[in-house]
Amino acid sequence: MTIPSFTGLQTALSGLEAAQAAITTTGENIANANTAGYTRQTVQTAATAPLTIAGPNGGTQVGTGVSITDISRIRNQFLDVQYRAQNSATSNANSNATELGQVQTAVAGDSTNDGLQSVMSAFWSSWTALGQTDNAASRQGVIDAGQTLATTFNTVAQQMQTVQSQAAQQYSTLTGTNGQVAQDAQQIATLNQQIAQATQAGISPNTLLDQRDNALDDLSSLANISVSTGSDGAVTVNFGDASSPLVSGTTVTWPQTLTSAAGGQLGSLLNISSSTGPVGQYLSSLDGVANQVISSVNSLQPSSPFFTGTSASTIAVSANTSTVQSSSSSTSGTDLAQSIAALSGGSADQSYAAFVAQIGNGVAAAQTTQATQQSVLTAVSNQRQSVSGVSLDEEMTNLIQYQQAYQASARVMNTIDDALNTLINTVGGGI
Amino acid sequence: MISGRITTQMTTASVLSSINNVQDQLATTQQQLSTGLSINQPSDNPSGASLAIQLKNDLAGLSNYNSNITDGTAWASAADTSLSNVMSMLQRAQELTVQASNGDESATDLSSTADEIDQLADAIKQEANTQYNGQYIFSGTASGTQPYSSSTGDVFQGNTSAVTRQIGPGSTLQVNVDLSSVLGSGTSANDNKLLDTLRTISSDMRSGNTAAISDLSTTQLTNLQNSLNSLTQVQANVGATQNRLTLATDRITGLQNSDTQSLSNDEDVNMAQAMTTYSNQQAAFTAALKAGANIVQSSLMDFLSN
Repeated sequence: MTIPSFTGLQTALSGLEAAQAAITTTGENIANANTAGYTRQTVQTAATAPLTIAGPNGGTQVGTGVSITDISRIRNQFLDVQYRAQNSATSNANSNATELGQVQTAVAGDSTNDGLQSVMSAFWSSWTALGQTDNAASRQGVIDAGQTLATTFNTVAQQMQTVQSQAAQQYSTLTGTNGQVAQDAQQIATLNQQIAQATQAGISPNTLLDQRDNALDDLSSLANISVSTGSDGAVTVNFGDASSPLVSGTTVTWPQTLTSAAGGQLGSLLNISSSTGPVGQYLSSLDGVANQVISSVNSLQPSSPFFTGTSASTIAVSANTSTVQSSSSSTSGTDLAQSIAALSGGSADQSYAAFVAQIGNGVAAAQTTQATQQSVLTAVSNQRQSVSGVSLDEEMTNLIQYQQAYQASARVMNTIDDALNTLINTVGGGI
Repeated sequence: MISGRITTQMTTASVLSSINNVQDQLATTQQQLSTGLSINQPSDNPSGASLAIQLKNDLAGLSNYNSNITDGTAWASAADTSLSNVMSMLQRAQELTVQASNGDESATDLSSTADEIDQLADAIKQEANTQYNGQYIFSGTASGTQPYSSSTGDVFQGNTSAVTRQIGPGSTLQVNVDLSSVLGSGTSANDNKLLDTLRTISSDMRSGNTAAISDLSTTQLTNLQNSLNSLTQVQANVGATQNRLTLATDRITGLQNSDTQSLSNDEDVNMAQAMTTYSNQQAAFTAALKAGANIVQSSLMDFLSN
């Protein structure tokens, strides 16, 4: 039963190499501890094929050391799926809360300015003044207050429409030829090709995989995505509710049509800019308030209408100081002016209060969803980080462990060297 | 929220996000403290914001009623002053008529008394032409028309329609009175009202014959007494209007107080509570900063020997 003399040296060498690879990988992990989207790597090792030594009782096997089988990423694909779903939902909620918040600011103004409410009250008060004294000054007062009211309606409606058109603008920027969608999709397609080549060559393309995962994370903030990985390592990405896959292998299919059901930021922007979305609904509620003011005042101005227009954006004063009617007949005093003044606190004012509550509820709900979604995303992100992120303390511990392993392998080599020295120089009496 | 391994990035992210959270809460409390309002956007409290708008509408409506009441009160007190003046002139006319009806005044005296009666009639017309805020208060709803103008003699030019003011929800009040029911339209109308009576008295005095003097002591004195009675009635109406206006003011003030109170309860911040919350949040903020500074600094490397 003989073991070749230098086998031990080779075994110790493989230990040195494995420890060195582990130390290098630890160094890589530490270097990238703060790199966004970096996945920590570990060295996978396996014992090499043993040496069988024949002997009288059938022989035995002697280990020949260690070999590095792979340097792989520690990543949980299921957490990626969860993270991307929550990322879509969170960025959808963020966008909703931001856009609706802008609408709220347009309507309610700051806290010292009550917006339409105070202007409407001032309008009714001007009719009270006309009801008391019908003269040039009080007639002018009614016209002025009416114009202020009409302009305020116009401005608020315009600001809400601006929020809508800005959302539409932002959507077309993101989805344009050089937009974020196109860039991410192109990057994923390019990485697909490189990853497929590496996979075919039997290499783990860890850095490329991290880059592609980053691009997929980024894409998931724009719309819902679903990702499936093929046998060659390339991914197929379905994006929002687009009819064809955005990326399939190296093929990018973009632009495609999305709807507000696409999720993510794009879904939110489409929802905001749509006439049937929340802002569209607020706008039609505001139109309802304006219509109530127009029709209730005009019905008490039988000879010529006070307001023209049918909505918040078109309301305007058409009367002048001589066409304003304060009285229905020569013997009825200022009955019409008084009747219009009595509309104060009536259905138009109540609809406005309901309109403010509608916006308030919408924004509050959007903000609550945003906060909830944010904490869900943080939780999922922490879970993912917990698996894939770099812990410096852990790496330091590993570093000590691998250093010890390296030193031990070196000691083994030393010992074998001593033994061989003894064999060569001492056995046979020396030269 | 954290399972198993805790990585360096997780620690820093968590420290940062808790500092941000506390800072966000601080900003909200600070806004409440600086505006004095607990509702700064409708989304802070949608139903509260809607209620605040309704209360502000109510308050605006109440201040409109208040303005109507002030206006009505001015009408009533202008009317009251004029009616008192008319009353004292009527009483003077009564005195003069009683003196003349004794039959012992000379023709010259009677003629000068007749002049005074005519002057009284003109002065009474003048009172009837009293204006408030550019409006004739005894012209009914024709408040732009002078009730008695020099060009149309003693004929009443206004109408007898009611001038009303809304002094509360669904509550209207007539603020003018019909003085023409006392004054009438003069001799051409022959209505035995005050102006007709005064003109007849003065012409009776000027004629000075027995029949005329006897007409003074009988018919005209009775007519004067009738006018005095109806004038008293009109004065009583003005008094009643003034009473109703005072009551309405009290009621509106009460409603204003309760609405203002409700509005304050609804949208004003509770300062003591907000200040307490603010100091708590500030303490939490300092603690988060301190803890963050300590946690982020230390690692295993601090304890490994070189």
